[in-house]
Amino acid sequence: MRLALAAVLGLSAWVGVAAAHSGSLRATRDPIAAPTWLFLLTGGGVVGVSFLLASFVTDRRFVDAVHDWGRSLPDPGRALRVLVRLAAVSVLALTLLVGALDRADGVRNLAILVVWVVWWGGYVASTYLFGNTWSTLNPFRTLAEALPSLDRPYPDRLGAWPSVAGLLLLVWIEVVTPLADDPQLLAAVLAAYTVVTVAGAVVVGPDSWFEHVDPLARVFRFYGHLAPVGVDQGRLRLRLPGGALPGVVLDGRDDVAFVVTLLFVTTYDGFVATGPWAGGARALAGVGVPPLLVYLGAYLVGAAVFYLAYRASARLGRQRAETYLSATYLARRFAPSLLPIAAGYHLAHNLGTVLVLSPTVAAVAASPLAPPPSPPQLAGLPGWFGGLELAFVLLGHLVAVWVAHATAYDLFPSRLQAVRSQYGITAVMVGYTMLSLWIVTEPYVAPPFIAS
Amino acid sequence: MTEPTPETDVPPDATPAVCDRCGQPFAGETYLTLHRGLDHGDALSEAEREAYEAALEEEVARLRRFRLLALAALVAIYFGFLMTYAVVT
Repeated sequence: MRLALAAVLGLSAWVGVAAAHSGSLRATRDPIAAPTWLFLLTGGGVVGVSFLLASFVTDRRFVDAVHDWGRSLPDPGRALRVLVRLAAVSVLALTLLVGALDRADGVRNLAILVVWVVWWGGYVASTYLFGNTWSTLNPFRTLAEALPSLDRPYPDRLGAWPSVAGLLLLVWIEVVTPLADDPQLLAAVLAAYTVVTVAGAVVVGPDSWFEHVDPLARVFRFYGHLAPVGVDQGRLRLRLPGGALPGVVLDGRDDVAFVVTLLFVTTYDGFVATGPWAGGARALAGVGVPPLLVYLGAYLVGAAVFYLAYRASARLGRQRAETYLSATYLARRFAPSLLPIAAGYHLAHNLGTVLVLSPTVAAVAASPLAPPPSPPQLAGLPGWFGGLELAFVLLGHLVAVWVAHATAYDLFPSRLQAVRSQYGITAVMVGYTMLSLWIVTEPYVAPPFIAS
Repeated sequence: MTEPTPETDVPPDATPAVCDRCGQPFAGETYLTLHRGLDHGDALSEAEREAYEAALEEEVARLRRFRLLALAALVAIYFGFLMTYAVVT
């Protein structure tokens, strides 16, 4: 067993080296030394191999010990909590104000830096690297709780589907509009989001709204399950990263769709910036299809294909494992293992930007309404940084394979059943890896017809 | 985290082996025996314990066979890639 673990580590180091010179996730990359198909096959192979290696760990007590490990942490205290919430609301107000008033574009505008670098790049990473603090920090919740609630009952039959639609809508707006360049537009979207969120939370009560409807709160809650710090029975606990995931049971298909959508939206964002997409979209627009409809069609079809592929993997798992557990139940149990993959891609995509632009944030924050004409940036990142980004992606996949393994051990009395139940999810992971590596190796082509 | 009752879906023509303690259906007697030993291990009769130990032994034997196959697959993948890289690059 220890041998198997050492082998996993050794293998990942080997692949890290082999893949490091094949390409990084950023727009400027070195030429690829191996042909693309071989690079993709290697990526898929690594995931498949890590599944095989994980299957060598058959000691139930060891598998349990990994995800049961934990320590208690001290409570941060009420005063700190109030202070942090007030600070978050102030940041929201400042962002709205600067976005609406400041004429500076792009990285000279504090609103854009706060939303895309500090919040989306840095803060989101903190939710899976350290712990989910959004439930406390959430400025929209602070605002909503300050208002009287109508406490209308939330229609249960809707489940968490509104949050799936909300996530799709937010990312759709992000992809088809220049939200990362135009501060006025960003402020308008942020204001609209604030109004909708606060109004919704007032109508059905903040608890129901942020539990079922608000996509951001849900993304952070799911990412928080992955983090080493979490809340267990009202107390802060330290655990291994991903250690809580095998115990997470999603509520239903709506939650499963949410997790799969989270993975899909990252992929779509990259996919529309590839050459084949640009060619296909131009060809379709050439025969008279409105370009935005092409984007929307691919978006919705892609989301549906991802969900159906995942459902099919759960059915395959059920069939192979000879079990009477329903396919839906298996889908609910295995979906959390996709979260480390999403987190790995998020970190790989954003860490470089956050590091390069962090001096910019400090310089612009010092005088938000009169930013320096060319705020400082880090001159560049060292060459090995591309390898580090790839390592994050790989690490996400390895944690995912392990989580699926531990989940299967939790589900089935027979260990062979547990191995067989993972065939479906492993196939999905291999396919997803190859798809996303393909997107990564394609040179960046600005998406045609849209202004971003 | 408290475990909810797993949602099951038994085909109408199947005859599942049902756990007499928690009611969970299984696709075979062996699975039920293993389940009893793992989840209700502190309240087993002598016969049930013996059956559990026998099932565990059989499981270990089958696991060993699976490991050999997995090892063969690993070796095949490793050399497959090695050869491909040698030829292609």
